[in-house]
Amino acid sequence: MKVEAAAVADACSDDLSCGEADIDPSLLELVDEEKCRSIRKQYRQLIYNVQQNRDDIVNTASESLTEALEEANVLFDAVSRTREAALDAQFLVLASDLGKEKAKQLNSDMSLFNQVAFCDFLLIFVGLNWMEDDGRDALSDCDDNIVRSFWETVQKEATSWMLQAETFHFIFGSFKSEPSARKPRLEHRKRVYRMEENGDMPTKLRKLDLCSNQEATEKEVERILGLLQTYFQKYPDTPVSYFEFVIDPNSFSRTVENIFYVSFIVRDGFARIRLDQDRLPILEPININHVGEGNDSSSHCRKQGVISLSLQDWKNIVATFEISEAMITNSY
Amino acid sequence: MSQKPKSRGRAGAQAERGSGGEEAPSTSRGPGGAASQGGRRAEAPPTPGPRSQKQLELKVAELVQFLLIKDQRKIPIRRTDILRHVVGDYRDVLPELLQRAAERLEYVFGYRLVELEPRSNTYILVNTLEPVEEDAEMRGDQGTPTTGLLMIVLGLIFMKGNSIKETEVWDFLRRLGVHPTKKHLIFGDPKKLITEDFVRQRYLEYRRIPHTDPVDYELQWGPRTNLETSKMKVLKFVAKVHNQDPKDWPAQYCEALAEEEARARPQTGGTAPTPAPSS
Repeated sequence: MKVEAAAVADACSDDLSCGEADIDPSLLELVDEEKCRSIRKQYRQLIYNVQQNRDDIVNTASESLTEALEEANVLFDAVSRTREAALDAQFLVLASDLGKEKAKQLNSDMSLFNQVAFCDFLLIFVGLNWMEDDGRDALSDCDDNIVRSFWETVQKEATSWMLQAETFHFIFGSFKSEPSARKPRLEHRKRVYRMEENGDMPTKLRKLDLCSNQEATEKEVERILGLLQTYFQKYPDTPVSYFEFVIDPNSFSRTVENIFYVSFIVRDGFARIRLDQDRLPILEPININHVGEGNDSSSHCRKQGVISLSLQDWKNIVATFEISEAMITNSY
Repeated sequence: MSQKPKSRGRAGAQAERGSGGEEAPSTSRGPGGAASQGGRRAEAPPTPGPRSQKQLELKVAELVQFLLIKDQRKIPIRRTDILRHVVGDYRDVLPELLQRAAERLEYVFGYRLVELEPRSNTYILVNTLEPVEEDAEMRGDQGTPTTGLLMIVLGLIFMKGNSIKETEVWDFLRRLGVHPTKKHLIFGDPKKLITEDFVRQRYLEYRRIPHTDPVDYELQWGPRTNLETSKMKVLKFVAKVHNQDPKDWPAQYCEALAEEEARARPQTGGTAPTPAPSS
C-alpha cells in the first residue's frame, strides 16, 4: 500500500505544476473506484437524459440545456482521472450540438412558416378543399384518379418555376426494343471509335448481320432438297405431284413456306416443275439422264411461273387431293 | 502520314494498308490490321496531326447527341464519360469541342451546358427558356411527375431555414399520402426517390446528423437546384400555393432578395476593380 502511494505521489508530483505539488498524497489514495464509478454513472445518466429529451430541449424555450450543463459542471469538479474526463468531453460535444440546433431553431422561429398550413393550402390549391374535413391523411385513402390529378396539378405549377431541360427522346423510339435509347447510341459511338483503331469492327458487323434468316432459309432449302432427293431415290423416275409435296394439310403458313423453299430448289436447278397430262404441276428431279435425253431446249431456257394460293384454294386442294399428311415434315 | 485517315471509314484505312480490293473487310482488317495498327501506335508521336473541320464538326455533333441522351436521367454527366465514349483521341481539343457543343446546344435547343460546381468536372443541361403556360400541354408524357414532389420538398427546406430533418419531411408528406415505407401510386418508392434519386441528380443533399439516436438525416438544397431555380422562385411558388404575397414571410423574402442581388452581380468577385482605399 505504502509503496503504491509513494509511487502515485511521485507520478502526480511530476504531472502537476510545481505550484500545486503540495497535494496531499493521502488525498489521492482516497480516489477509490467506487467514487469514480459513481461519477461515470452520473455522467452516463446525464447524457442519456439529454439524448432522450433532445426534442424537448431543442424545440422549446426551456432551460433544460443550461441545467444539464450546470449539472455537468458540478460533476466535473469531482473528476480526477481521464476516464471520467472523457465522458465529460462526450457530454460537451452532445451539448454543443444541441446548442447549435437550438440556435438554428431561433432563426426559423421568426419565419412564421407553418408546414401544416402549407399542406392544407396545397390541397386547396389543387382544388381539393372538400377533403380538408376528412382528417389529416386525406390523400391516402382516396381515389387513384384524385391522387393522380393532385400530383399532376402540382407538377404543372412546379415546372413553371424551374428551368429544367426537357429530356430528349426519339419520337419513334430506338431500334432495339428492350434497351433504352442510350445504348444503341453509345454502341454506335464505340463502333465508330473502334473502327479507326483496330480491325475488329467489320468482323463484328458480320456477326451482327441482321439478315441471319438468310442462313435459315438456305438450311431449310437444303433440308427440303434432301427430302426430295430421298423420295426420288426411293421411287426413281416417278415425278411427285407438286401439290402433294408442298401442301401441309395442317398448316397454311407451312404450305406457303414450303412453296417458297421449293422455288429455290427449282431456281437452282435441282428439280423441275412440269405440267403433266392432266395439266397439274409435277416435280421432277434433274439428273444426267434427263440431260442426255436431249431436252436441252427446256433445260437451258428458263421459264417463270407464279403460284398464288389463297386459304380457300389451299382447303380445296387438301380436299380434292385428299392429302392427309405433309410430305415435308417439320424440322422441329 | 497523319494518325487519322483523312476520310473516315474503311476505304481510306484500307488504301493505306495496301490490301487487295477484293478481300472481304473482315479478313484484311483482322489480325493484320491490328498488328499494323499496333505498329503505327508505337512509332507515332502522341500528338496527332491537324484535323479537318469536317471531322471536328462530326465530333461536335456526336458530343451534342451524347449530352442530350445522357441528360435523360438528369444525372450529371462526367467529363471522364465524355472522354471515354465520345471524344477519345480528340481529347486534346476537348475544351474547344465542349465550347462548340455548348454553343450548338444553346443556339438550337436553348439549353445551357454548365458545370455543376467549379472544378467538379461534371456537367448538366439547364433550360434557358422560361417555361410558358402552353408548354405544359405540349410536353407529353415525360415519365413520373416528380418535379411537383421535388418543389414541395425544396419549398419546405427553404422555408424552414435551408435545412430540415428527414423526419420532418415525412411528417409533412404523410399528410399528402406519401409514406417512406408504403408503395406510392405514382412515385413508387418515395424514400428512394427523395433520398437517393434526387440526391444523385444533385437536387438535394442528404447528410447524417451526428449524435442522433435513432439516426436522423438532414436535407438541404443541392447544387443543381441552385442552377435550375432560385430562392425567390421557390418562395413565389410557396406564396402562390398560400395565395399570399411572398413578402408575408419577411425573413425568407430578405434571404431570397439577397440571393437575387448576388446573382445579378458579376460572377468573378476577385477581378472586380476595387477603388483605391483612401485613408
